[in-house]
Amino acid sequence: MTPVEPHADGGGKWLDAHYDPVAGLHTFSSCVDLADLSGDGESRLVVGDLGSGSSGMKLKVYRGTALTSESTLLDLPAGLVAFFMDLHEPRIPAVAVASGPCVYVYKNLRPYFKFTLPGLEVNSLEQDVWQQAREGQIDPLTLREMLESIRKTAEVPLSVRSLRFLSLEAGDMDEFVQLHKQQPIRRQTVITCIGTLKKSTADEDGVSCLVIGTESSEVFVLDPEAFIILSKMSLPAAPTMMDVTGQFDVEFRITAACRNGNIYILRRDFDKPKYSIELSSHPVGLVRIGKNVVVGCTDESLQGFTQKGKKLWKAVLTAPITTLASMDLPTRGFQAVLVGLANCEVHLYQDKNLLSIIKTPDVVTSICFGRYGREDGTLVLTTKGGGLMVKILKRTAALDQREGAPGPPASQSVRLNVPKKTKLYVDQTLRERESGVAMHRAFQMDLSRLRLSAAKSYVEALECSLTPMSSSEPLKMNAVVQGLGPAFKLTLNIQNTAARRPAVNLGVSFLYDEGLYRMRNPYMRIPLLVPGLVYPVETFVECTSDKGISDIIKVFVLHEGRSSPLLTAHINMPISEGLTL
Amino acid sequence: MADEEISAALPVSTEAKKRRAPKELYIGALLLLLLLSTILLLCRRCARLTSPELPIVERRNWLIHQHYIRKDYDTCKAIIKEQLQETNGTCEYGIYVQALIMRLEGKIQQSLELFQSCAILNPSSADNLKQVARSLFLLGKHKAAIEFYHEAARLNEKDWEISHNLGLCYFFIKDLKHAEEQLNIALRINKHDKTFMMLGKVHLLAGETDKAAEVLRTAVEFSPENTELLTTLGLLFLQLGKYQKAFEHLGNALTFDPNNYKAILAAGSMMQTHGDFDVAMNKYRVAACAVPESPPLWNNIGMCFFGKKKYVAAISCLKRAHYMSPFDWKVLYNLGLVHLTMQQFASAFHFLSAAINLNPRVGELYMLLAVALTNLEDVENATRAYEQAATIDESNPLVNLNFAIFLYNHGDKKATLDQYQEMERKVNLLRDSNSTFEFDPELMDMAQKMGAALQVTEGLAWTKPAKDSKSKPSSAAATNAPGPPLGTNQALGQAMSSAASYGKSLQQPAGAAEGSPAPLEPEPDAERAPSPPTGPPGSPKPAESENPRPRTSKRKSKAEE
Repeated sequence: MTPVEPHADGGGKWLDAHYDPVAGLHTFSSCVDLADLSGDGESRLVVGDLGSGSSGMKLKVYRGTALTSESTLLDLPAGLVAFFMDLHEPRIPAVAVASGPCVYVYKNLRPYFKFTLPGLEVNSLEQDVWQQAREGQIDPLTLREMLESIRKTAEVPLSVRSLRFLSLEAGDMDEFVQLHKQQPIRRQTVITCIGTLKKSTADEDGVSCLVIGTESSEVFVLDPEAFIILSKMSLPAAPTMMDVTGQFDVEFRITAACRNGNIYILRRDFDKPKYSIELSSHPVGLVRIGKNVVVGCTDESLQGFTQKGKKLWKAVLTAPITTLASMDLPTRGFQAVLVGLANCEVHLYQDKNLLSIIKTPDVVTSICFGRYGREDGTLVLTTKGGGLMVKILKRTAALDQREGAPGPPASQSVRLNVPKKTKLYVDQTLRERESGVAMHRAFQMDLSRLRLSAAKSYVEALECSLTPMSSSEPLKMNAVVQGLGPAFKLTLNIQNTAARRPAVNLGVSFLYDEGLYRMRNPYMRIPLLVPGLVYPVETFVECTSDKGISDIIKVFVLHEGRSSPLLTAHINMPISEGLTL
Repeated sequence: MADEEISAALPVSTEAKKRRAPKELYIGALLLLLLLSTILLLCRRCARLTSPELPIVERRNWLIHQHYIRKDYDTCKAIIKEQLQETNGTCEYGIYVQALIMRLEGKIQQSLELFQSCAILNPSSADNLKQVARSLFLLGKHKAAIEFYHEAARLNEKDWEISHNLGLCYFFIKDLKHAEEQLNIALRINKHDKTFMMLGKVHLLAGETDKAAEVLRTAVEFSPENTELLTTLGLLFLQLGKYQKAFEHLGNALTFDPNNYKAILAAGSMMQTHGDFDVAMNKYRVAACAVPESPPLWNNIGMCFFGKKKYVAAISCLKRAHYMSPFDWKVLYNLGLVHLTMQQFASAFHFLSAAINLNPRVGELYMLLAVALTNLEDVENATRAYEQAATIDESNPLVNLNFAIFLYNHGDKKATLDQYQEMERKVNLLRDSNSTFEFDPELMDMAQKMGAALQVTEGLAWTKPAKDSKSKPSSAAATNAPGPPLGTNQALGQAMSSAASYGKSLQQPAGAAEGSPAPLEPEPDAERAPSPPTGPPGSPKPAESENPRPRTSKRKSKAEE
């Protein structure tokens, strides 16, 4: 659908509150949250900054337009959430940062607790083998063989150590075993996404559990106080994004987009997904609007599903999606989806209707909408170049009207580009009308004359063997000229196309302007031609003129004792580019 | 590619490990300060003193995935490279995504090799096998792909993707039975538009149009907003002659996507059939913005202008269509028709003979050629063309009527009578096979005149003749009024609907939408033609050489096959 002009820049719905193009924030929507971290009624922006991707990972807190706090993170943050972990007054939320196999919980922006995922089940055979290695019963090579066989057959994958061991060169194995053999084998997994789930009340500031999705395709629900695992569910693939609603003690739904391109819906008391949505392309963003799930896919589409996985609608977008976030304005009863696109736009969709477009100076990588400072409708965007943008929704902004009303597309009013005809054309038309019959007859006459003369020359050519294909003898020839001049190499490729009869007693002769060219041997005998093979016959031609002119050399293939040629080829000689010495 | 990286990674990775150790110590110190869980920390320190902790192989998978789905392939490749160095090339997911990206970049052979190495790292994953098979499929090795898909199906039975792709492979090796079977399995597991589409295609290829329509109908029920499905179904109905349903589906498709080129063309051609040239033109304007270089579109626009009697514009548009698709006989047919209307008989002759050279099996083409030749006063060749037209054509009474008029004008009463009876036979056949078939009033009028001239008893019963002549008195009058000798719009419409019905198959839906070759009304030409040509028509030899001889046409048709 083509966007209609009026809402091209958000229709003046947003106030530009802040834009810092060099804020140096590199993050995803999953690592951005808005929360009142000090309990003074003013929301802060908490960002898990991925830094350069290998270093400079930081937890940053913004207040207003200023960065108020910054602390180093140990590893890349996969997700960040602010949540209430207890009932203490004043109500100050904690911040949980998931990175690697751990969740780091910060309270009052100070490290408070670290939760590490339980280790995965270790292959018992692997364990035995390492045990034997430790006791010196087997040498590294045997160890390698045994591990190799375990890897091929085992249900449970090998640990990092064994995998690394298997990839080592023979010389390094001994050292590696010495270094590692004392340690017990552990298999760790990492967190891929994190979310929060209210424990027992639906209140805004109710205590929440952490919900963690792991690389090992599991979902854990953690108790907020004791940090023990309350519930453990498994998915068919590693989750990439989650959306959680409900209360843990009552009923909840976890909608998890997985790496296999499917979306699974988990419910309380089921440790396996209850419903699944199979998408035709990978989901980039997942948002819940009311009871429906809105998914942005890599095929540039936005799709809506019911919470049981039934497809509701699909909207086609103009560019690839970079991120998705929900826009929830409870005071106005308004819910919509913000879609960040790779063409530097943020689209606001309510169901499949495009409500407004915000143009941004850079590609948006993360979107967060909510209360920032003391303003409820604030949109926080970070861009690919590391910029930070804050926009405030105008209180007068009307969002409900459907601007993209269906109507005839704009292109319908564009005039057709019909080629114009000239006066000459009209005159010719009139002439044809008047004397069409004469024209037709003249044309037919000329056509037949042309055909006659073409046929005549063809017969003549055939009769005199003027063609490189012989009509009497099964011979074929093509010629190649090499060189820049004044000396050229002339190669004639002669082929006997007969089925079995060899051709004998043939010769090649040339006809050329002797004032222009000199040829080393103007007559050559051709050896016996075995059928099917290509015989190159080479000779050298020298151009004796320095006037930059060229001529045709005629080549004749002759049969000894016969005067008329079997084949004739005309070679257009190139102009000599060198000078005769 | 992967091997190179792995070998390159070897020296670097040890270095990286060394670098890591002090950093982690620093981290450990930080933890000591921050976490106050001394016991845990002591344990960790002890551990570190003896052996460095190995990084978890999968630790960056989520990041790779995040960048991959955002199509940020450069960053993605950089992370994968780093990760493969760190893990000595054992990071399965990294290799997997690397292979996916390579496939997107068109390096299918390399991606296949990478997927194979993934399958070696993790032989129990159906996904790896699926991707290996997919790459093989893209390389055109369908049989090998089928084997791999079957292997993957053993690991994961309930996967629609496997069944769907198996169906696709079978489709490409022309094993339609298996293809249908697999696609049906895929549909049982999970319904996807793609699968419906494919199954429809398979049925169409097998010639089971009804089944295809059935499949597409369920598909449309399943996803009522998929314009591609709607358009395909609409075109299929158009082919089957169910115009009402066809129009309904095409209209739906246009509601959801007003820029759908295929639907516009198909719906536009149907509107043209009914004479709504302005509405059709409106639609075509949209299409002309989207696909300005489509030959069928310009052909249809040209015929719209023709219908609106803007002949110069019609010729302009048709010539553009012809320029863009010089070997399309339908465009040439229309050009011939328009030139006939413009009384440019010499030009018409050229276009028509070109069309005949491209498709020598259409009776109407010969008929038009004969009309042109009649006007060019070449009676001999006109007769031959008419004879050829009458031999080839099976159902169009117009051919025989024109021939009859021609013969009558040249005084051959007996042959006229033969042609007239042949025409009667065709008319009866048409009327019996389709009770709602409406004959062009001009055709009926002329036939009646002819019958009177031949003093044949009124044996021919037209369907609802009274109604017809009442409903279309104005148009009939309009054509009989001076102006250029042209068929009524209705005649055009009829011809177009017949053209639409024999439009090309669904694989080229645009083709079905084009085609408005409308036979010209014959009688004015025939009547106007000076009864016998005054002199011998030029030299007969040249005309003969250009005249479509049956012999050449047969040869051409063979060559085409």
